Amino acid sequence: MLWLDPHAEFDDVFNQLQEKLAVSKDFWQGVTVVLKQTERECCPKEKAQLEKLMGEFGMALKEHVADNPSSRMKTTREVDRDYALIVRRTLRSGQRVHHEGSVVVLGDVNPGAEVVAGGDIVVLGTLRGIAHAGALGEETAVVMALKLLPTQLRIAHFISRAPDHQDAPEPQGPEIARIRNNLITIHSYGP
Amino acid sequence: MAKVIVVTSGKGGVGKTTTAANLGAGLALLGRKVCLIDADIGLRNLDVVLGLENRIVYDLTDVVEGNCRLRQALIKDKRTDNLFLLPAAQTKEKDAVSPEQMLKLTEELREECEYIFVDCPAGIESGFKNAIAGSDEAIIVTTPEIAAVRDADRIIGLLEAAGLYDPRLIINRIRPQMVRQGDMMGIDDIIEILAIELLGIVPDDEDIIVSTNRGEPVVLDRRSQAGQAYNNIVRRLEGIDVPLMTLEEDGWLTRVKKAIMGRS
Repeated sequence: MLWLDPHAEFDDVFNQLQEKLAVSKDFWQGVTVVLKQTERECCPKEKAQLEKLMGEFGMALKEHVADNPSSRMKTTREVDRDYALIVRRTLRSGQRVHHEGSVVVLGDVNPGAEVVAGGDIVVLGTLRGIAHAGALGEETAVVMALKLLPTQLRIAHFISRAPDHQDAPEPQGPEIARIRNNLITIHSYGP
Repeated sequence: MAKVIVVTSGKGGVGKTTTAANLGAGLALLGRKVCLIDADIGLRNLDVVLGLENRIVYDLTDVVEGNCRLRQALIKDKRTDNLFLLPAAQTKEKDAVSPEQMLKLTEELREECEYIFVDCPAGIESGFKNAIAGSDEAIIVTTPEIAAVRDADRIIGLLEAAGLYDPRLIINRIRPQMVRQGDMMGIDDIIEILAIELLGIVPDDEDIIVSTNRGEPVVLDRRSQAGQAYNNIVRRLEGIDVPLMTLEEDGWLTRVKKAIMGRS
């Protein structure tokens, strides 16, 4: 949902929006955006500009005429990390889960599968695929798994990948990945 | 009630067709009435593997288009009376058939036999969707290669999405020597990723190449290791509890023994 502040300059809003979107490119793929009309009406040129921007991020823009003209300034929502999606199965190659809050997988995440979350990612199983926590820019987000063997780990805009040599030692227990000093670091988790 | 089982893999060249042919022939040998459907339209192979290519008059698309009756298109196997093949069309494309037509076809075939195997084409496009449309069980074939296992995983996900749960796995072309040396994925490694029931394992065996080229399913050859493996799988399909075969590379002594026994 996109509200346009009636008092703001369109160009300012547009630039801010562009920045916000660019931080977390992948997160927006396939999302439909509803443009909520407030007192401030978009002129067709502005709308076309918005549409183009959404298109660049793989989103679709839909118009929605406001029934209740409120003038709240809000471009993107704060991520509620405590609101988690529980995935009660193993994610297999080609399957993708993406959720604004945190994601808990009760199963494995196989190679070729992808979990993208605005908050944390917890896998109660083996994580072998790709995990992207804090996909909206939250750098304190973490990725946890009982067995952490990801193809690639992403937290906010940081990316790390599995070592190229295959004989790296297998983790001995649950591990947690988080950002420390601008690096994704992995620690064993638990007692 | 007849069971319709799709044999699929995602990746090509892992042995779907060979598996379908051998399971069909093996079950027929046990007295079951079996029909094999070649759903690989445009790239038909099952007829060649069974050595029935020269008997094809009508094919699957002729049946769904109403050019002939189902009975006319079914080819009876030359070795057993219980095995039938519904060949694919070679001159048409995959989308010559729709999932609805396949469903209707399998429903009609259920009246005729006890087991129906659908040999699925490689890939996840329309051919795959056609092949699974009328099936109520799935057998996934994979080889101990990362790419094949990855594709198998993808297929399991797609089958679940289509409402086909609990597929069973056949691991084909295992080379025990290489597994032992750590150069090939082991059975446990594959099961750990795919997490589905293991229906059987088939060793890499030169007899398969020979039998496939000759149009004689290897399951009919009691002496071959792969034939024995397929036989075990067939009996498991019949609900018989057969332990997994131990794969031992033949030492020189056993090889000599085999050679002598083979001649007598």
